[in-house]
Amino acid sequence: MSVAQPIKAQTTGRPMTVQVLKTKAETSLVEAFAAVEAHLPGGDWLRQLRRAAIGAFQAEGLPHRRVEEWKFTDLRALMREAFPLAKAAAGAAPALDAVAKNALPGADLSKSAVLFVDGAGVAERGISEVSEAASPFLTKLIDHPPAWLESEVSEVSGHVGDGALALNTALFSDGAVLDIADGREIETPIALLFSDADTTPRTVVTRNVVRVGKGAKVVLVECHVVSEGPRQANTLTQLVVGDEAEVVHVKLVISRAGSIHLGRTVARLGKSSSYRPFQLVAGDGVVRNDLSVTFGGQHATFDLGGALLTNGNGHADTTLVVDHAVPHCTSRELIKCVLADQSRGVFQGKVIVRPDAQKTDGKQMAQALMLSPDAEFDSKPELEIYADDVVCGHGTTSAEIDPELIFYLRSRGIPLAEAQAMLVESFIGEAIDKAEPDVVQDAFRTLARQWLAGHARPLKS
Amino acid sequence: MAAVQETIDQVKKIDVDQYKYGFETKIESIKAPKGLNEDIVRFISERKGEPQWMLDWRLEAYARWRNMTEPTWAKVSYPKIDFENLYYYSAPKGTEGPKSLDEVDPELIRTYEKLGIPLKEREILAGVQGARVAVDAVFDSVSVVTTFKEELAKAGVIFCPISEAIREHPELVKKYLGSVVPQGDNFYAALNSAVFSDGSFVYVPEGVRCPMELSTYFRINERNTGQFERTLIIADKGSHVSYLEGCTAPTRDENQLHAAVVELIALDDAEIKYSTVQNWYPGDKDGKGGVYNFVTKRGDCRGHSSKISWTQVETGSAITWKYPSCILRGDNSRGEFYSIAISNGRQQVDSGTKMIHLGKNSSSRIISKGIAAGHSQNTYRGLVSAHRKATGARNFTNCDSLLIGDKCGAHTVPYIEAKNSSAHFEHEATTSKISEDMLFYCMQRGLSQEEAVALVVNGFVRDVLQQLPMEFMAETQKLIGVSLEGSVG
Repeated sequence: MSVAQPIKAQTTGRPMTVQVLKTKAETSLVEAFAAVEAHLPGGDWLRQLRRAAIGAFQAEGLPHRRVEEWKFTDLRALMREAFPLAKAAAGAAPALDAVAKNALPGADLSKSAVLFVDGAGVAERGISEVSEAASPFLTKLIDHPPAWLESEVSEVSGHVGDGALALNTALFSDGAVLDIADGREIETPIALLFSDADTTPRTVVTRNVVRVGKGAKVVLVECHVVSEGPRQANTLTQLVVGDEAEVVHVKLVISRAGSIHLGRTVARLGKSSSYRPFQLVAGDGVVRNDLSVTFGGQHATFDLGGALLTNGNGHADTTLVVDHAVPHCTSRELIKCVLADQSRGVFQGKVIVRPDAQKTDGKQMAQALMLSPDAEFDSKPELEIYADDVVCGHGTTSAEIDPELIFYLRSRGIPLAEAQAMLVESFIGEAIDKAEPDVVQDAFRTLARQWLAGHARPLKS
Repeated sequence: MAAVQETIDQVKKIDVDQYKYGFETKIESIKAPKGLNEDIVRFISERKGEPQWMLDWRLEAYARWRNMTEPTWAKVSYPKIDFENLYYYSAPKGTEGPKSLDEVDPELIRTYEKLGIPLKEREILAGVQGARVAVDAVFDSVSVVTTFKEELAKAGVIFCPISEAIREHPELVKKYLGSVVPQGDNFYAALNSAVFSDGSFVYVPEGVRCPMELSTYFRINERNTGQFERTLIIADKGSHVSYLEGCTAPTRDENQLHAAVVELIALDDAEIKYSTVQNWYPGDKDGKGGVYNFVTKRGDCRGHSSKISWTQVETGSAITWKYPSCILRGDNSRGEFYSIAISNGRQQVDSGTKMIHLGKNSSSRIISKGIAAGHSQNTYRGLVSAHRKATGARNFTNCDSLLIGDKCGAHTVPYIEAKNSSAHFEHEATTSKISEDMLFYCMQRGLSQEEAVALVVNGFVRDVLQQLPMEFMAETQKLIGVSLEGSVG
């Protein structure tokens, strides 16, 4: 499979001359690295990458609004202080069954699951039946990694990218490793569960590496559901989708005030493969999901869906770079945001069509519905096109609920609050319809309904 | 879908090697010494007979500029400009200060005749009555002649070179100059504020509908000269003005710098329509020479129900860095931006608009068409933002681009920032919206699919072109045939 550089495109446009004093958070993260470096897993090759990464972080600092890709999510301002790094097995770990059964309403994920508590792998079930890797835990493999794992981790870690990526490379402690054999069709969703032991503030840094073989089919369900305690999570999932493989990757993030979730997915798609991620984000914390997708083979499909529900001072950012490096590929994105209170939704989508990538078909759409006059939506659907025989479109809209629709429903005898709920649900429903499989879609619908019941305040009549 | 043959042929006709305004006028000129320092700023100010307050204003701008760095965020690349190796002032000998046409060097008049710009009022009057245009002709750093001044004065309209306005109408200039684009707004605006030498000044008094189109024609002639003109247009309450701008330059191997600032102010119920046909020398097919066009254009809809409309047709310049914007400060104010940008050869265009909604129920519309051919790069960069208090703000944006050949690039970088829930913003690309029904209807009447697509899309492009005043139609005729079939969002 030909490999194009997956995340280089994100590094442009940074002013090189800006010199800013280090913030408290930046200083303490660098100090934290020095303190734990000796205990971090991985051999010399990884140690060198980690050092290079922390060096880059020291130079660049946390990404801030002058960095184009972080224009709307000023991490330097949002992360006033960095929480201490999580220590393994600090408290009593919750049982896998309990987490797997409660993560998604109405769905039992316990048949095939890996559980991480405060960034350390603690339990797994049924993974050896689906994965060829000797262990599902990165810590167990990374000291003497198989060649593919070393090459994949080096590939992504070698790109310094931005401060958030550099921090992940420098500090990741554990994560899931899945190696799906060629031709395996796995129906049971594989759950990657991230939970915590208690409520003390901490920083959790994880790295997942997933390789899906030729013609294989797999469903990944990534759940970040944490207790009340404030968390700063930095999680990166590397994904290699083999030729003709199909990967469904749903991600759930329930965010809470005071917490920051920095998620990143770096995916490389083989020929005629299909990668279909979906993200549900709900809550009042800060969530940033970065996706970087590179087409490595022709006739591949990328289809992203997303529903972002924010309230309070919540901040949900979906930033995406789709690199059409080869011809005949299709990309689709549909992101819907419902913004309550003073929350803020952000969508940045960049579709690059390389000179040879003829017959590319790309469409992106980001829509926001504002439930409160104080909400804010920022969108930047960007196209960078160098090929002349392509179809690329983008769209973005932002508005409040149409009063005429409310009037129509009320004239049919439906009370105001109910009419509003119906309209919001139908708005967000269009995105949730894209979530797979059905059991996850139902669960997401339930979660969205619960959120709406709590946060969609009735409009003034 | 790729571009069809008809479009390719049309774009070919305006390719960089077809540039027909590339002649040079042999005329003696007075220049300031090369380079930029406080003395040059003082020299320009003295040359123009400016009062002390104007000189102070310039010096403040110069001091700010010295501490600024060139912006690098645009998607354009060019060798670093040596600001010390430029002439900041150049005037044809004997043309300084306002003059009657008889005193103007005949060589200059011939130049404008060659460019198709009528400067003799009698000749214009002999033409079609309805097509009268008052022209301010700016040659390098000075305005050589302004026509129809008396007739405009009867209506109360002030139309003169800005250097004259500084002397004759200091109260208006003091009040409005820099109120839309402050001295330190950006690198090139600061440079312009320090060294601007001429440009047009328009004041339309309360309730007056300007009796004719106003026009400025910019010509860079001298070698190694930067042109820094400043245009200030004020439409007082309830007034209306339509303003046209044209620009050309001779074919030269080295690059020329053009850093203008245009400020528009529309008070209550006033309307300003600003149209540009940008025809600067684009460089040859290998990218040698050409004008660097780094321009700051901004309109301020200061009064309620005011309206500012920008229309531009761009075929020239080696590099374009230009974002005509509207600050929609007044309630119910409206901003419009219509643009067709065609790049060929090695041209680089990074252009677009900003619509900043501050007033209640302010509305804006952006229609932008970019066509890239040859080895050119064509970027649309736009911002639509609604302030917290901009209740009921509306925007519709439509930007399409089309590539001809596989060596060029077309890029779209829209920013949409809504800080008010009642703001309705829509951004879309029409390509996907050519309705199958429409195509079916046309084809069912016997048109081929290509003809049907051309018909549907051309109808849409004409929408933009029709925003241009009649006088510019001849120049843009060749563009009308350019259709946008096969365009990408």
